[in-house]
Amino acid sequence: MDAADPAATDLALTADRLGRSFDDRWAVRHISFAVQRGEVVGLLGPNGAGKTTTVRMLAALIRPTEGTAAVDGFDVIREPDAVRARVGILTETPGLYDKLSAAANLDFFGRLYGLDAGLRAERIEHYLRSFSLWDRRDDVAGTFSKGMKQKLAIARALLHDPSVVFLDEPTAALDPEAAFIVREAIETLRRAGRTIVLATHNLDEADRLCDRIAFIRGGLLRIDSPAALRGAVGGASLTVRMRDGVSAEAVSAVRGVPGVRAAEPSDGVLHVGTDDPEAVAPAVVRALVSSGADIVELRPERPSLERIYFDVMGVSPRADEAVGGEEP
Amino acid sequence: MRPSIVWTVLRREWYETVRNRLLMSTILVPPLLLTVAPILLAGMVGSGILPPELARQVLDQRPEWSTFTPGELAGAFAVQQFLVFFLLMPAYIPLSIATFSIIGEKQARSLEPVLAAPIRTSELLAGKAIAALVPGVLAGWATYAIFVALASLVYGPALFGVVTDPSWLAGVFLLGPVVGLSSVVAGVIVSARVNDPRVAQQIGGVVIVPVIGLVLLQATGTLLVGPAGYLLLSAAVLAVSVIGLRIGVRLFDREAILTRWR
Repeated sequence: MDAADPAATDLALTADRLGRSFDDRWAVRHISFAVQRGEVVGLLGPNGAGKTTTVRMLAALIRPTEGTAAVDGFDVIREPDAVRARVGILTETPGLYDKLSAAANLDFFGRLYGLDAGLRAERIEHYLRSFSLWDRRDDVAGTFSKGMKQKLAIARALLHDPSVVFLDEPTAALDPEAAFIVREAIETLRRAGRTIVLATHNLDEADRLCDRIAFIRGGLLRIDSPAALRGAVGGASLTVRMRDGVSAEAVSAVRGVPGVRAAEPSDGVLHVGTDDPEAVAPAVVRALVSSGADIVELRPERPSLERIYFDVMGVSPRADEAVGGEEP
Repeated sequence: MRPSIVWTVLRREWYETVRNRLLMSTILVPPLLLTVAPILLAGMVGSGILPPELARQVLDQRPEWSTFTPGELAGAFAVQQFLVFFLLMPAYIPLSIATFSIIGEKQARSLEPVLAAPIRTSELLAGKAIAALVPGVLAGWATYAIFVALASLVYGPALFGVVTDPSWLAGVFLLGPVVGLSSVVAGVIVSARVNDPRVAQQIGGVVIVPVIGLVLLQATGTLLVGPAGYLLLSAAVLAVSVIGLRIGVRLFDREAILTRWR
């Protein structure tokens, strides 16, 4: 495909058996997935998993060793300039020019992307206002906090209105406050319908922001929505706390509810095993009330993304295994 | 190559250069010193004359100076030593700017967003090279103009002919810019491998050594190079620079910068 009308397809990004090696060592391979317009896809994996290499290949910054990828139908190998014109990228570090003002930083990139003076001025004002940096537009970037720098770098990535925005570890090395500010900025983009590929090793960030999550470690291990991932792993439950503790009648009543796999009292609460906590909760409540129990609290419990992560990655979170085995 | 993109890179380079005090002092102080050096030298030489033995040697090598008075001969011999500085300036200023620029971007990790934009490597490199080369060459030429004026004023009109003879003109206006280009190339190559601008300047400064040697030989009369010699020399330095430029462009490759520059 030599060119494409972005509106003609719902796919903003496709990758087909993408792989890259450095000096005969594969950094990543067998990456195949597609991203719909307006979708937020997370690339989740440990450090060195190949997330940044994948992002760089998708953004036409480095050539794949094998496979192919396209943005808006433009091939990353044959049409790298067209791809670069259609993507925005937030690199691991903001990479700003510290001696230039916020506005001058954006102006420089606006010129590189070929925006005319009027459009440049309009977009610079729009994004600086959107990220609450307008009042600091004439201050040099070197005086900004880490969070402000990251927001300015995101504004830079959006300036040319790209089809796909790549965010590579946007909150890494940020303190909690700065990370919160940046996550809010990403949430704003998500609500605005931006197509985003978010590389991160922050599980909570991926869970909160992504429509689908791709687990990467040297290759694509799995890609699915957070809900589907949780469903596949299993282990969902309901936790019920009652005023007078867990009675035998209550346990018996709950075990008879369709969809309940198990009901066990533990530490003064009742744990109800089920594949779909929300669906069985009303019936569980009715059964408990009819057994005479006074319900104080009922809470659906789903497997954490952390558990899914370890499950998909095939590693154990146990510290003794992480350091290579038990001490003699 | 799109001139508007090269100009965009060049503008930003100059904007940052003038805000870098260390770099600006490196660029401005030597030309200022060089403009006053002839006056100081004049003060030291005063109305003195060269020792007879040295005067004879100088006249043997420069018979065209035989019409000079002893004072003018001493002055001509003195100002002849300054040519080396007008070749050094277009060499070290671009080297300083290029190394600060490239290593500065390396340290700030600011090249990756630039390379993610639809800019060609040749446009980026051209912008950086021109931004480094032009101040050095212009500083050399401007200082030379002031030097000529001061030398003529201090030593008299006879010396005007000495510092504007074809050898000087070829050296300043031909060899100088070419040496500047070789210096930029050296800066690009060394900066790709080094992470400290000062180290890069020391290593890159090696390109200046042959130039200094040559001009010293010229100044002492050991080896006299005429305009044709300067022309040949400029062509040789240009050829070496072009070869170096190809190496520099390869080192400045997008992938190399992103994956190997640390």
